Amino acid sequence: MTDKVYYKVGRRPWEVKGHPDGHASRQRSRIPFTNRHWLKWRDVHNPKTLQRERVLVDKKPLWWSIGLSLLLVITPFLPNSLISVASIFCIYAAINILWTLIVGTAGIFSLATLAVVGMSGYIAAAANVYLGVPWPFMLLIGPAVGLAAGAILAAPSTRLDGLYYALLTMGVAEICRVFVSQLRALTPTGGAITQVDSFIPEDWFLQRPGLLLGFGGAFLLLLGALLVWRLVNSERLGMILRAAKTSREDEAFSEAVGIDFRRARLLVFLISSAALGVVGAFYAMYYRSISPTIFSLDQLLLLFAMMVIGGLGRAEGAVVGAAIVILIDKGLIELGPLRIILVAAIMLLVTIFAREGFTGSRDQFRDFRKRKAGERRAHRTEKGGEAMPEEATEILDKQELYYRRFNKRLRERLKLMVTPELIEEHRVNPLGHHSDALARILNYFRRGEMADKYVIMRLKNGEERFRIMAVSGIKGMPPRIVDDREYDALYDAYHAVFLLRINDLLES
Amino acid sequence: MDLGLIIYALNLAAIYSLMAIGISILWSSVGMINMAHGATFAVSGYAAWLATAAMKPIIATTFGNGALASFVMAGTLTSASLVAGALCGAIIYALAFLPIHDKPNYPVRSLIITLALNIGTVQGLLWFFGPRSQGLPKIFGFGRWEVWGTKIRYDQAGTIIGATIIMALTLAWLRYSRRGLEVRAMMQNAEGAAYSGISRQVTALPVLMLTGALAGMAAALLSQTIFVSPTSGVIPLLKGLTIALLGGLGSVPGAVIGALLIGFLEAIIGAVPFLGQRYVMFGTFIFIICVLIIRPRGIGGLLDDTRE
Repeated sequence: MTDKVYYKVGRRPWEVKGHPDGHASRQRSRIPFTNRHWLKWRDVHNPKTLQRERVLVDKKPLWWSIGLSLLLVITPFLPNSLISVASIFCIYAAINILWTLIVGTAGIFSLATLAVVGMSGYIAAAANVYLGVPWPFMLLIGPAVGLAAGAILAAPSTRLDGLYYALLTMGVAEICRVFVSQLRALTPTGGAITQVDSFIPEDWFLQRPGLLLGFGGAFLLLLGALLVWRLVNSERLGMILRAAKTSREDEAFSEAVGIDFRRARLLVFLISSAALGVVGAFYAMYYRSISPTIFSLDQLLLLFAMMVIGGLGRAEGAVVGAAIVILIDKGLIELGPLRIILVAAIMLLVTIFAREGFTGSRDQFRDFRKRKAGERRAHRTEKGGEAMPEEATEILDKQELYYRRFNKRLRERLKLMVTPELIEEHRVNPLGHHSDALARILNYFRRGEMADKYVIMRLKNGEERFRIMAVSGIKGMPPRIVDDREYDALYDAYHAVFLLRINDLLES
Repeated sequence: MDLGLIIYALNLAAIYSLMAIGISILWSSVGMINMAHGATFAVSGYAAWLATAAMKPIIATTFGNGALASFVMAGTLTSASLVAGALCGAIIYALAFLPIHDKPNYPVRSLIITLALNIGTVQGLLWFFGPRSQGLPKIFGFGRWEVWGTKIRYDQAGTIIGATIIMALTLAWLRYSRRGLEVRAMMQNAEGAAYSGISRQVTALPVLMLTGALAGMAAALLSQTIFVSPTSGVIPLLKGLTIALLGGLGSVPGAVIGALLIGFLEAIIGAVPFLGQRYVMFGTFIFIICVLIIRPRGIGGLLDDTRE
C-alpha cells in the first residue's frame, strides 16, 4: 500500500501563517505616540482544524519596504548613468505621489503640478543666486512659494469643475513658461537659472560621490512624499474626502451630514502644493539649475502617462508607473523617438484593458474570477434543483432544498403521463377507482401547498351552482375567485379544477 | 482697425472653428474628449502631401498646366485629407470608443487613449518623415485681390470661404438628415436617445468620421498658409480644445462665437506693437480664464443643474 498524499486545500494554501499559542494573551506593539499598530495582524480560526492562526491581512507595507530597500541597496552598485536614472525616478515618483493626492484624494483635476514645482524651484533658485540665500533656506522658500501658488490655484477650483479647471491649470503652466522665457535677466541662458548652490558640493557635481549624494537626497524626498501621502490620505482628511468621492449624490449626502468636504479638498490641495514646493527647490538643487522645459506640455504628458500606466489615484500606481516610464524613457535612450511611441502604446493597452492601471489589475482579475465562478455555478445548477445556489446558502433548513429538488423531478415525470385519454378518464369519472397514472397525478395534486390551491364554492345553499376559487394561503386573507364561469354539476366543477391543475403542472 | 486685420482674424477663426466644432460635437454626442484631433490634423496634412506628390506628374500629363489642372489638384488635396481624416476617425472609433464605451470610467479612459494615440502618432510621424516641414501645393494660387484699398491673399479668402461652406454643410447635415437627427438626439439626452432606439455604437462611427474629416479639412486649409510638420497638429488641437471649452462644450454656436472671439483677439494682440506674436498664447489664456471665471460653463454652455 502506497503512502497517502495529502493536498493542501483552500484558497491560499501557500500563504504563510503564524500558529500562536492559544492560551497566551496577545501582545502588539504600537507606533509611538499613536494608537496604531505597525502591521495589520489578525487572529483567525481555521474552520477545518479549528486551530488558531495569525495572518497578515494587509501585506502592502511589506511590499513597500521590500521594494524601497531593494532600490536603496542596489543603486550604489550601479554605473553612474543608472544612478542618475534612479534619482530621477525618485524625484518623479515623489511628484507623482503628490499629484495623486490632488487628483485622486482631493478629486481636483489639476494639471498645474509641474507649474507649481517649477515656480517654487525658480523662486528658490533666484533667491539663492541673486539674493545669496544659503541653500538650506531654499527648502523653506520652496514650500512657501508652493503654498502661495496653491492658494491662488485653489481659488477657482470650487467654481469650475473637471475639464474646465484642467484647461485653466494648463493655461497657468503656459503663462509661466512664456513669462520665464521672456524675462530680460534670463535671456542669455534661454530662461534658465544656472549656478544654483546645492547640498552636493560643487567639485562633486556629476562625479560618483555627488551622484550618490544626490540619490540619497532624492530617496529621502520620495520617503517624505510617501509620508505626506500616508498622513493625508489615510488619516482624517482622506476619510472625509472618501465620503464625498464618487458622485454628486455623495457630495450632497456628506454635506447634509455635516462633512465639510470642500474645506478638506482645499486643505489637501494646499498641503500637496507646499510639498510640491519642496520638490521644486530640491529639483533646482539637484540639477544645480532650472530651465523652462519644466513648464512644457511634453513633460506634463510624460508625468500623466506615468500615473495612468501605474493606476490613477493610488500611491503604488504612481511609483510603479514612474518606474516603468522612466526605465523606458531614460534607460533606452538609444531607441530615439521609438521609446515615446512605446510609452504611448503601453498607455493605450493599459487603458483599454485595465480599469485602474497596472496596480489595479489584481483587483480586476479577482472580480473577473469571481464573476466567472458565479456564472459557472449558475450554469451547473440550471437544470438541477429549484433553489439557485445563492439562495441555497440562505435557506437554513437544508431539507427544504432536497424537497424542492425531489418535487421538481417528480413533476418532470408526471408531465410525461398527461395524455388526452387520461383527461378523458377523469372527465368520465372524477371520483372512484382510477388508473395508475391518474392516481399518481391526483396524489401529487392532493399534497400541494395551501397557497393557490383550488377549491369549489357552492354559490347558494341547496342550489347546484358552483364556482372555482383559489385559497390565498395566508391567514385572514380571503380566497380569490379564479374565473366567472359557473358549473351546474359538482362533477363538472371537479373536472374543471383538475384541468386547471393539469395546466399549472404543465406550465411549471 | 483695417480690413487686413479683420481678414486675418476671420482666417484664424475659420480654422479654429473647424477644429472646435469637431471637438464640441464629439463631446456632446459620444461623450469623448478627443485629444487625437491634433494627430488627425497632422496625418491628414501628410496624406494630402503624399497624394499630391504622387498625383502631380499624372495631372501634369493629363490636364496640362491650366486652370483645370489646378482645380483637379485642389480636388485631390482636399479629398485626400478628408479621406485620411475620416479614416483616422474610424481608427479612433475602433480603439478609443468601441472597446470601452460601456466600461466604467469611460470619459477619462477615452481621453487617455486618445492622448496616447496623439503622442504615438506625432512621434511616429517624426520618426517616419523626419522633423522637416513640407509645403503643399497652393490650391488657391498665388495672388491678391484689391478690396477697398487692402490686399486680400487668395489663400486667406479661400480658407474663409471653404471653412464656411464646410461648416454650413455639416450643420445642414445635422439639421436635415436622418443620421443628423440621431446625433442631435444623442447630444440632447444620450439616455433618452437610447430609449428611443438610437444605438450609440452605430451613431458614434459617423460622428467620429465626420469630426475627423473636419480636422482633415482644417489641415488642408491651414496648409495653404503654413507648412505641414509632425507637430503641426498640437497648436490647432490646443486652440480647438480651448475654444470648444470657451464656447461651452456641446454648443455649436458657442464654438463659432468662441472661435471668432479668439481669432480677433489673436489678430489684435499680434498687431499691437508692444505685445507681438510671442504674447498671443499668453493673452488668449488669460482671456479664457477670465471668461471661465465669470461663466464657468463657457459662453454657450449651461450648468449641469440648469440642464437637469
